[in-house]
Amino acid sequence: MIVSLASLGLGLVVGYLGQRSRMCSIGGLRDFVLVRDTALLKGAGALLVSAWVAFSLARFVSGSGHGLIAAGTTPSGLRAVAAIAVGAILLGFFATLSGACPLRQHVLAGQGRIGAWWFLAGFYVAAVVYTSWIQPSIGGWVL
Amino acid sequence: MTAGTAASPREAVRAVSRGRLGRLTGSAVVYGVVVGVLAVVVGEWLGVNPPAAYGLCSACHGRDLTSWLVNHLEGRHLFITAAGAKGWPLLTVVGVVVGSYVASKRNGEHATLNLGGNVRQFVYGALVMSAALFVGGCPTRIIIRSGYGDLAGVLALGGVATGIVAATLTLRWAARR
Repeated sequence: MIVSLASLGLGLVVGYLGQRSRMCSIGGLRDFVLVRDTALLKGAGALLVSAWVAFSLARFVSGSGHGLIAAGTTPSGLRAVAAIAVGAILLGFFATLSGACPLRQHVLAGQGRIGAWWFLAGFYVAAVVYTSWIQPSIGGWVL
Repeated sequence: MTAGTAASPREAVRAVSRGRLGRLTGSAVVYGVVVGVLAVVVGEWLGVNPPAAYGLCSACHGRDLTSWLVNHLEGRHLFITAAGAKGWPLLTVVGVVVGSYVASKRNGEHATLNLGGNVRQFVYGALVMSAALFVGGCPTRIIIRSGYGDLAGVLALGGVATGIVAATLTLRWAARR
């Protein structure tokens, strides 16, 4: 219950601010490469830095270590490193071709962009297909 | 004094505060700071975990919501993270769409707009979701995971950046030839 309400509230804030600021986590780098515009790139940098500071503070408050690298997040081997790298490159590539990162597509859908509705349709169909058939067959060898 | 500015003091104050708030909410840096802190608060203290650094993600939370719906309606046992299986589902993605709808309505930017290429967008959506679930997060969560100190997240962030640059250069090359 509280999890649902917390995630709904966070989603509302993200949607509102995302619509006002046109923030997109892949748009920053794309705009920088295309026209050397750094407005959105600064937003992505601010997200990274504020998450880092907030996680460090949270660790400090709860007294659970202070390492820069979290335990248990190192890829298990070269195969996992290659899988993550290739998957991430494909993620960045297709997200840029579609014009926006997935979160920004949700914002555009709320704003009335019909292409974003189609994007979300493919998105959620793929979620069910992936968890039903692809994920069980590739198993847990990614991490 | 012109006739158009003869507003009541209260309305004048409201206009000024709306202007200031508008500049704040329209800044990408403010978005980054607010969302980064809120994602950590929600993920660490409001129960949206495990896995770690799970406060905000459009792909994983969307997957948890669709899996929850399929499991409850069809009685199947699709994968859900522990955070998404605590009774009620995660509603982040619904909140984002509704929040953006409210923001665009309030500011007169809501417009049903068809730019074409919808089937292509459908295919891109499916590919992006598959890649994001494979890597373990949408680009936004990959940034948050990197802030958490997740080595796999940092690796994925580098990969996503490479993919963005490659796609941008491809698009520019395709537009110029």
